Parts: sequence; structure tokens; C-alpha cells
Amino acid sequence: MWSVSDDALVAGLAAGDEDAASAFVRRFQRRVYGLARTIVVDDRAAEDVAQEAFVRAWRHAVSFDPRRGSVVGWLLTITRNLAIDAVRVRRPVAIDPAVLVGLAQPSGEREPHELAQLGVDTERLRAALAQLPEEQCRAIVLSGLLGYTARDVSEADNIPLGTAKTRIRTALIRLRAALMNEENTE
Amino acid sequence: MSIFTCGEMRELAPELALGVLGGTERAEAIMHVNDCARCQALVLELTEAADALPLLTPELEPPAGFEHRVLSRIHTRRRRNRRFVATIAAVAASVAILSVIAVRVIEANDSSSTAPRAVAARAPVAVEMRDNAAGVPAGWAYVTGGHSVAVTVDYGVPSGRYDVQLTPARGAAESLGAMTVSANRGSWTGRSARTITQGSTLALVDAAGRAVCHGTVGAVA
Repeated sequence: MWSVSDDALVAGLAAGDEDAASAFVRRFQRRVYGLARTIVVDDRAAEDVAQEAFVRAWRHAVSFDPRRGSVVGWLLTITRNLAIDAVRVRRPVAIDPAVLVGLAQPSGEREPHELAQLGVDTERLRAALAQLPEEQCRAIVLSGLLGYTARDVSEADNIPLGTAKTRIRTALIRLRAALMNEENTE
Repeated sequence: MSIFTCGEMRELAPELALGVLGGTERAEAIMHVNDCARCQALVLELTEAADALPLLTPELEPPAGFEHRVLSRIHTRRRRNRRFVATIAAVAASVAILSVIAVRVIEANDSSSTAPRAVAARAPVAVEMRDNAAGVPAGWAYVTGGHSVAVTVDYGVPSGRYDVQLTPARGAAESLGAMTVSANRGSWTGRSARTITQGSTLALVDAAGRAVCHGTVGAVA
């Protein structure tokens, strides 16, 4: 079952195949729980979020469209949104974005097939993030991972709203450029 | 027509891609993106970068028994869904039988009647509601008997009050009622005076008149 593609596992999940559901959870549970734990911090809340993410994935598996993106990207987006909702309910816990970047796992520790499934070179993305000015890095991590609006960022960092918007925009455009460059050199 | 120009949209595109644009700005931005292929392409590229960010977080081993607990929840929901569908089907079948009896009684009493026959009761038809901007699933609508409608959303729809709108395959759109969404979740049930047929569209429309999500009714059995 572990050699089955991510897309096939989602198709099996949608069809009610219990083996596929089990393999799907086993394949992504560390990644889903890791993201949930990073955002909500609390172990119990992280498990709630991770469980709900898999249940949502099961409910919506029938409508998953591989042309719109990778399975892991889809699943992590679900997880991130649920985690952000949970954090909003429980009030945000400040996380130093630099810690998040530093914790990103080097690609050398991952299996080649896993990197292919991710559809993006995380090491390159991490490098691009590390090259950003600290304030832009913080703004994009707060916004992209923790769901901070530009206004939230401006209040958290005590900067004008326009400055927060500029930091978020510039950072994301630079990350996009790094990924586009990666695609063009492949 | 969106109030934003392409230049203004380029400024807002990162926040839209990150999913942190709210309220009226989001509605206006979505409307602009729906009508502008260039800005749509930009938002999609930025969304790809935004979606890659979660990949940077570390993987962690979940607590022991996690897989079992997830699968149990899925199995429980699956059983509950089957029971729900079975119950609805049983109710629908009962109503269908009563309808047929009623029609025959009416026909027996008025054999010259040329009025259209009563619409037979039917099993609920599920309609997937998709976010108009990102195209991702936002929730479901269920149409029963061609008139009863239930709408539920649980993903991606900003908090606010929306008009539940029905657009028939042929004809003008009409409002069925109002639905409130809070923390991405909301539900509404009601009836349509007009028979909902295949090809009709159900949508949630914001105060500015823009559809935030919609679904098209498939084959009505």
C-alpha cells in the first residue's frame, strides 16, 4: 500500500476503502500533526486539529482535484485553516517565526520519493525565507502560517498598516520568485 | 464590476493568496479575479507559494493511538451518514406513496382535470458548494422533493450574512432566504416555491451582490 501514489490513496479514501484510509493517515499523520502542533502549541489541541483535518479530508476526498495541487498541499491547507481557527478561539500564542524557519527539516533527511510528492523543494523555499530581511520573514510566517491579517501584523509588530502590507507582499513575491526560478531550472 | 483596478488588485493579491483578506475587500478582490485572467494567474502563482509555507514546519510523531482514533471517527461518521440517507430515503418513499395515492384520489374525483401532476417525492440530491475564488469545496446543499433545500458550509466562507440564491436553468435568480456564516460555518434550511431542476444553481451571495460559493444541481432522480 505504501507504494501507492497520494492521488490513488485519496481516490480510495473517497471510495470508502478502509485500507486506503489507513494508509492515508499513516502516510501524512506526522506532517499533519507537526503543522498543527507548531501552530496551536498545545498537544491536546494539536491532536484535535489533526484528527479533524483527516476527517475533513475524508469528507471532501471525492472532490479533490489533482490538477489544482498536490495532496499534501491540500491536506496541509486544511490543517492550517483548522489550526488557525483553533488558535483564534484559544487566543494566539506568540511563536517566534525564526524558530519556525530554524525548525524546518533539511531536505537531506527526507526520502527522495517524499520530496517528489511534496512537489516543491522545501530546502530552496527555506533558503529563500532565510534570505528575507528578518521583518519580512516574520510578517510572512505570521500571515502565511498563523493566519495573521495585515492589521494583526501591524498591531503585533507596532508598525503602520501600510508597512505590514508591504512586508507581507514583498516576502510572498520573493518566495514565489524562488519557486518559479526552481521550476524554470528543472 | 469590482471597484478594484488591476493595480490595486496586485497590491491585494498576496493577502488574498494567503487567505487573510477579509470582508468587503475579499469580496471585491474575488470579483475582480473572476473577471480578470491576468490577476487570476497572479493569485494562483502566489497561492502556490503561500501553500508551500506549511511544508517548512517540522514533522512530529502524533500521540500513540492517533491513527486508530482518526479511523474510528471516520467510520462513525460514515455509519451516521448511511443511517441519515436511509432515514431520508424511507421518509421520501413514504411521501411518494402518499403522493401517488393522493393523485389517484384526485384523478378519480376529477377525471377531466388537466392540472399538472404533483411532483413525486424524491431522495435528497447532494450539491457540492465550491468557493468561487479558490474553487475548493466550501460545503454542501441538499435538495429534496424539488423544493426543500438545506445548505451547509464549513470551509472558506467569510463570516457574514448571505442571501441563499437560486438561479434556475432558465429564468431569473431569486432569493430563498438569508444565511449567517460565523467562523467559516453556517447552515440554512428552507423551501423554494419554484421546482428546482437539474442545471439550477444555488449560491451564497454577499451584501455586495457577489456569489462567494455556488453549486449546480446535478441529475434529480
